[in-house]
Amino acid sequence: MRALSCAEGRGLRYDACVIGAGADGLSAAAMLARAGLKTVVVERGEQPGGRCALREFHPGFRAAPFTDSIAAIPPCVFRALDLARHGLVLPPPQASLSMWPDRAHWIRPHRPSPAAALAQEMSRLSDAAIARGRDDAAAPPHRPLFGRAPAAAPWPGEDLLAQPLAERARAAGDTDAMAHVLAAALEGHAIDPDLRGSAAALLAPAARCLIVPGLAEALAAAATGAGAELMAGAEATEVRLLKDRVAALVLADGGAIETRAVLSTLDLKRTFLTLFAWDALPKPLAGRVQAFRMEGACARLLIALDRPPALAPEAMRAGIRVAPDARVFADAAAAWRAGMAPERPPMTLRVVSAVAPALAPAGKAVLTATLGAIPHRLFDGAWTNERREKLRDTALAMIDAVLPGTRDAVLAAELLVPADIEEGLGATGGDVWGGEIAADQMFAMRPGLGAAAPRTPVGGLYLAGGSTASGLLGAGVSGTLAAEAIAADLKNGRRG
Amino acid sequence: MSARAFDAVVVGAGVGGLTAACYLARSGRKVLLAEARNRLGGRCESIALGEGFTAPLGAHELHALDPRVARELKLARHGLKFVVRGMALAGLGHGGRHALIVRDVRDTVRNIASLSRADADAWPAFHAELFALARALRPRWWEARPPKPLARRHQEVFEALRHVSAAAWLDSRFESDVLKATLAFDATVAGYSPYEPGSALLLVWRAAQEMCGLQGVSAWPMGGPAALAAALADAAKAQGVEIRTGAAVEHVLMQDEAAAGVALASGESIAAPLVFSSLSRRATLGRLAPAGACGFETLAALAHEPVTGEARIVLALKSLPPFNGMAVPATARFVLAERLESQAAAWSAAHAGRLPDELTLEFVIPTAAEASLAPHGQHVASVLVRPVPAAMSAAMKTQLTARVTAALDAQMSGLAGSVASAETFTPAELAARYGHPGNAVDIHSNWNQRIMTTIPGLYLCGAEPVPAPSGRAGRIAAALALGGGK
Repeated sequence: MRALSCAEGRGLRYDACVIGAGADGLSAAAMLARAGLKTVVVERGEQPGGRCALREFHPGFRAAPFTDSIAAIPPCVFRALDLARHGLVLPPPQASLSMWPDRAHWIRPHRPSPAAALAQEMSRLSDAAIARGRDDAAAPPHRPLFGRAPAAAPWPGEDLLAQPLAERARAAGDTDAMAHVLAAALEGHAIDPDLRGSAAALLAPAARCLIVPGLAEALAAAATGAGAELMAGAEATEVRLLKDRVAALVLADGGAIETRAVLSTLDLKRTFLTLFAWDALPKPLAGRVQAFRMEGACARLLIALDRPPALAPEAMRAGIRVAPDARVFADAAAAWRAGMAPERPPMTLRVVSAVAPALAPAGKAVLTATLGAIPHRLFDGAWTNERREKLRDTALAMIDAVLPGTRDAVLAAELLVPADIEEGLGATGGDVWGGEIAADQMFAMRPGLGAAAPRTPVGGLYLAGGSTASGLLGAGVSGTLAAEAIAADLKNGRRG
Repeated sequence: MSARAFDAVVVGAGVGGLTAACYLARSGRKVLLAEARNRLGGRCESIALGEGFTAPLGAHELHALDPRVARELKLARHGLKFVVRGMALAGLGHGGRHALIVRDVRDTVRNIASLSRADADAWPAFHAELFALARALRPRWWEARPPKPLARRHQEVFEALRHVSAAAWLDSRFESDVLKATLAFDATVAGYSPYEPGSALLLVWRAAQEMCGLQGVSAWPMGGPAALAAALADAAKAQGVEIRTGAAVEHVLMQDEAAAGVALASGESIAAPLVFSSLSRRATLGRLAPAGACGFETLAALAHEPVTGEARIVLALKSLPPFNGMAVPATARFVLAERLESQAAAWSAAHAGRLPDELTLEFVIPTAAEASLAPHGQHVASVLVRPVPAAMSAAMKTQLTARVTAALDAQMSGLAGSVASAETFTPAELAARYGHPGNAVDIHSNWNQRIMTTIPGLYLCGAEPVPAPSGRAGRIAAALALGGGK
C-alpha cells in the first residue's frame, strides 16, 4: 500500500481527487486509476474504510462502530474491483430473528415465507433501481431545446413512495410477522410505518452486507493495487474554484492538491456546506442543499461480553430484533421528531463475533445493539452523561429480557449516540444513511441537484455515497458510476 | 317500472348533487333529485343549538365554491350573499405567539415579523410561488379537458411535489413553528399527515381555489354554508328539477350492462338513462350498484376503511372573551397550532386509536360575521378537530368536548365559563349524517377518471379531488354525461 504523507502530496497535480476512503471512495479510486487517471484519495481518519473500518473499543474486542453492515456490494462491483483476489470473503446473507421473552419468529432468506418473498422482491427492485441509476448516468435524460421533454419513466419501486410500510408488512402474515418485517425495515430509522411513503425504507434495509474484518483492507488494496494513492489523516477543507470549475483541493494543514476533478463521498450537506464558501454556490443549489434533510436516528451500543450469549448457533449469526411491537415504531418516530428518546427504542442485536470470530478474544464475544429513533438533538439540551447512562441501562435491560444473563457478562459497553456518529464518521446529523429516507429524497430526487447524477452543478465536482440514489442502494455503485463519469468527462474535455 | 320516466336521476342532494341537477335541468333534461334525508344540502347544514343559536355543522366556511357555478346558476339571484369575502387565517400558539395571515402580502409580512424576521422576509417569495403554481395548475383541477398542457417548469414542479410533504416544503422555507403548523393544517384533509408525500400539493390545491374573486381564501356566506345549499335548491326548483326528500335510493337499476334508473327504498322504481351519485365511489359501487356490476378488484381497491377522521364541536357562548394578548379579527379562521411535530404526534395517536395529547383544530366564530346567528351579544363557535380516531368511544367524546373547551379557554381566558351549551359530533356521527367521505384525496387523476364509473350511465357528481363543497364535480359530471352522446 502506498500511503503518502501530507508533505509528499503537496505541489503534486492529479487528474482526480477523491474525498473519503469509504467503500464508494475506494472503488471510485480503483476505477479511476484503472482508467489511467492519476488519482489520490484523501481520508480524514488514520485508517481507510470509512464505516467499514473496525475499531478496538475494549482491549481485544473490535467492532465496526457506526453500523454493522453496508448496502450490498453488487456482483458487478465485486468483480470489477476483483475483491476476491484481495482476500475478501463475504458471509452469507443473514437470517432475521425476532425474539420476545416467550416466543420467537424467523425470517430465513432461503426458506419460503411471505416475509422472505417481500425481502426478495425488494432486493430485486433495488437491483433494478441501481441498473436504472447506471443507465441514467451513462446517458443523461434527453432535453430538447424546443418542445416538451419526454416524461421520464418511473423508477423501479417508485410505487413504494406512496405506500405505507405497515400495509406492505401486513401482507407478511400474523402480528408477529408484521412486527418483524417492520423491525427489519426500520433498523436504525425513525419512520412512522403508517405514513404514506414509509415503504421506501424497504428498499434500503440494513444488513445487506455485514462488515467483516478484511473488507476495508480489500477495498483499499483494490484502490492502491490499481495505482491510486491514499492520503490518510488528511482532511479536505475547501474546494478551490477557477472560472467556476474545480481547480484544487485544500487540506486542513493548508496544503493544496491541484486536480481536474473532485469526487466527494461525503454527504450532500457536508460536501457543499464545508467545502465551499456559502456565497460561492449558485442560489438554487444552496437552497436544495439546505432543504435536504439529514437527521440521525440511530444509536449504537458496542458490548464486550465475557462469554457468548446462550443461543443456538443459527440464532448467533442472525440479526436479532428485540421484542418488536408494530405499535411501538409510530410512537418512537413521534418521540424522535419531538426530540425525545423513546421509552422503548426499537433495537436490533448482532453477535458479530459469531460471524467473524477474529473480533473477540477466544471464548469471549462482541455483541452490538443498533437502536432506532434516538434523536440527534434532544429538545431539552445535550446528551449529558446521565442521559447516556440512562439510555445504556434501558438498552441493557431490554437485552437482558430476551437474552437472560447477558448483563452479568458485560465487560464493557460503549454507547454512541447520533452526535458521536456525526463526530466519528463525519456524517451530518449523525445520519448514517446520507439523508432521510423519504419520498422526496429518493431516486431522481436524491440528491436532486438538477444535474444528472453523479455530476453536480459545480463543474468538475462529482458526488457519490449515501446522499445519491445509487449510493443508498448499493455499496461501491455510486463510486464506480462517478469514476466512469469523471473518466468520460476528462477524456472529452467536457467542462461540466 | 313507474310510468313517469326521467332523463336523469341524481342521488343525494349535497352541493354536488344539486349542482348536477341544476345543470342537467338547464339543458332541458327532466331531472329527479332523490335525497334520503328530509333536508337538502348535505354537508352544508346548520343546526339549532339551544334557544336562538344557529351553528354550521358540516362545512363551517366555504373555500372551494366554483365561481362558474355561482355565475352560471345565478346563485346571487337565488339568495347567496357573502358577508366576509376573505377570512384571515390566524394561527394561535402558546403564550400569545400567533401568525395572522391576510390577503395583503405586506400586511402579512408585518404580522409575521413578530414571530420571525426571516420568515417575514421569506413570505412574499413563498406566497408568489404558491399562488403562481396554483394558477398554473388550476385548469387541471377546474376543467374536464385542460385547454393546454402545463408549461415545462410547472410540470416539473408538479411532478416533484407529488413526493414532497407539506412539512418538508414548509421546513425548507420557514423557521417559525407556529407559522409552519398554521399553514400545514390545510394539508391535513382526508386523513393526510403533513409529513406524507403529496401533502404539499394539497396546499397548492387550496391556493388554486377562488372565492368571491379572491384566490385561496375562505368566505362566509350570509346564513352560513347552508345558504349555499338553499340557493342551489332554489335554483334547482326554478329550473324545474323535481326534488324528493325522504327518498332513500336502494340500488341502481341496470339494463344491458348500463344504468337504467334507481329503485327507491319505498319500492318505487324510477327509470332514467342517466344516474348521478353524490356518494363516494366506494359507497356507489359497493352499495348502490348491483352486486357484480363492477369488478371484484375495483371493489377490493376501494375497500379501505379510514382509520382517522375529523370531529366537530359547536359551542353556544354567552359572551366572547377577548384573545389573550393577540390582535386578531374575530372573523378569521383560527388554527390552533404549536408545532409541526405535534401534528405528526397527533396523527400517530389517532392512527393508534387514541385521542391525541395535543389537539390540532380549526375554529371559526360565525357570529362575528353575522350577529343574527345568536341572541344579542351572545356567540357561536364552531370547531373542527382533526385528526381523531375514526372510531371514538363515548368516553373519548366527553373527553374531547372538555379538552377542546380547555384549549380554547387557553387562548381566550374565561371562554370555558361562558359556554351555554356544546354539542360534539364524532366521525361516526358525521358519517351517519353525510355518508363516509371515502378517504378520497384524488388530486392526480383527471376528471374523467374521477367521475366515470365502470358502469355506463352512472356518474359520480360528488367526486372532488379534495373533499370540499365546490359544485365543480356536479358541473363537470353533467357536462361529461351530456357531451357523452347520451
